[in-house]
Amino acid sequence: MKRNILVFSEDPRVINEAVYIANILKGNEGKIFGVSKLTEDNDVLSNFDEIHFAKENLIPEQWAKFLIKFYKENEIQYLVSPHTVNNNDIIAYVSAKYNLPMISNATSIKDNDATLIFSRQVLGGRGISYIEVEKSLKLSVTVPIKVYPRIKLDKQSLIKEITEIEKTKITSKGFEEIKKSGFNIENADVVVGIGRGFKSKEDIKLAQDLAEVLNGVIGCSRPIAADYGWLPNDLWIGISSKIIRPKLYIAVGISGAPQHVSGIMDSKIIVAINKDKNATIFKYADYGVVADLYQFLPIFTRKIKENLKK
Amino acid sequence: MVNIATLVKLSLNLNLLKIESDGRVNTADTQLAISEYDKNAIEEAIRIKEKHGGKIVCVSALTWGPVNKKISDAERILREVLALGVDEAHFIIDDVLDNCTPLETSLALASLIRKLGNFDLFIAGESSMDISNSQIPARIASILDIPFVTYVRKVEISGNNLILQREMPNGIETVEVPMPAVISVTGEINQPRLPTLRQILQSKNKPLMKYTLKDLGINLNAKLMKQRIEIRPVVRKNIIYEGGNLEEIAQKLVDNLIQEGVIKA
Repeated sequence: MKRNILVFSEDPRVINEAVYIANILKGNEGKIFGVSKLTEDNDVLSNFDEIHFAKENLIPEQWAKFLIKFYKENEIQYLVSPHTVNNNDIIAYVSAKYNLPMISNATSIKDNDATLIFSRQVLGGRGISYIEVEKSLKLSVTVPIKVYPRIKLDKQSLIKEITEIEKTKITSKGFEEIKKSGFNIENADVVVGIGRGFKSKEDIKLAQDLAEVLNGVIGCSRPIAADYGWLPNDLWIGISSKIIRPKLYIAVGISGAPQHVSGIMDSKIIVAINKDKNATIFKYADYGVVADLYQFLPIFTRKIKENLKK
Repeated sequence: MVNIATLVKLSLNLNLLKIESDGRVNTADTQLAISEYDKNAIEEAIRIKEKHGGKIVCVSALTWGPVNKKISDAERILREVLALGVDEAHFIIDDVLDNCTPLETSLALASLIRKLGNFDLFIAGESSMDISNSQIPARIASILDIPFVTYVRKVEISGNNLILQREMPNGIETVEVPMPAVISVTGEINQPRLPTLRQILQSKNKPLMKYTLKDLGINLNAKLMKQRIEIRPVVRKNIIYEGGNLEEIAQKLVDNLIQEGVIKA
């Protein structure tokens, strides 16, 4: 069966994250179209039958309006996109125009003969939603980054530039880049998470010392980055930011809000240190210590050092 | 004057989930709660009204049914919304919407919005706390054919224009857009206030209106996608140390972690 797929990503660096799913969905003779911003990356160029590039930055609404036209002209069955803030918005906007259902952030897809079964995280990471749809149904799906394999299709891509750009009432007034930590917490084996139990920015040193003896890095819950600005956003662990899967995660002074817990669920071992014995985080912990972090962390760090020396 | 519609989700209460023995979430018997970031949407609407005047209307749809089990819970939550300073609440109740997708929710909400008249600004939370699709703001903007700006952490109004700061993963983007527009706000934009006793009493006299899909003149087929929700099994050891000597506890914990093979001795 022929099913044309439109893969979109505002950012070309992540567009290949959606190609694996696109390739599964396309059936035997469907085409894979790509729409993104200009790139010279050959791994991107060779993954599509046709790829349409914009040379400049477009506002989400402008991308959406281009996709609305493209969708109609190319008899698209599935719209697929890597899940980012803007991509999800853009795909939702296009889906609304054609009354398409849309599955955001689908973490798995299963071919079940006449139907497809998608799954996604819900209830702040505590639940999984299984969504079964007829294969004949036109729909949109966004997929998380770094979950599906990256594949190479070696196609001879037809490359086109997007020249007709729709007007928008939105004007961009500037972009202020947030400073980055330089640490990649998604690949770290050991992560020490910092929560609101820390009373000041200077006290983060206690967690840093612990991370250091374990050859790990520090991360944090949402308020530490977004509210207080004590740490850069790229260290923020949670469903709306980084999802981590380390061998060891140590949550210090973190209460365990769903937003945070959903970002750590796949850690191999979870340790929680919190002075409130009723903190939700203990439910998700393999090992927990009910204690004041200010008293416990220095002792814990020293004990690890002593044991490493032995 | 800025007339505002806040989009409020009647979410499953994540602290009171009813879970069946097979792990399935029994949504019919789970209580509702206002979705977390929608409180920020309401607070921002109130702050705009305090500064610029206008009216705040709350629009909502009951997407967890059945209606007969959920209606009083929904009304209780919307009374709380009214007590916060919203002037009117309007919501759609229809068993067709039970466990529906954002496609049907947005079509129903857009019909209700059109029935209620003209708004300058639509404010939603960045995502719902139960299902977290984050589709409604863009879908509503698409149906109404107006601009949208999501993940807003600061709102300023200058004449007929909104000057907005967006929280993006790599920085802060500032955009300007004329009203009418749809925005979604982050949890950091403000600190939602609590209602005063007087406001709670006053809320009882504010309009709280219900509509079926028939009342809105629309027909929806919400059976395109069936969703089944299960709780992820949490298999954790839950060994908790409490009280006693911290030196000893620290040593025990280190031993545990060495045994697990996550730290090397």
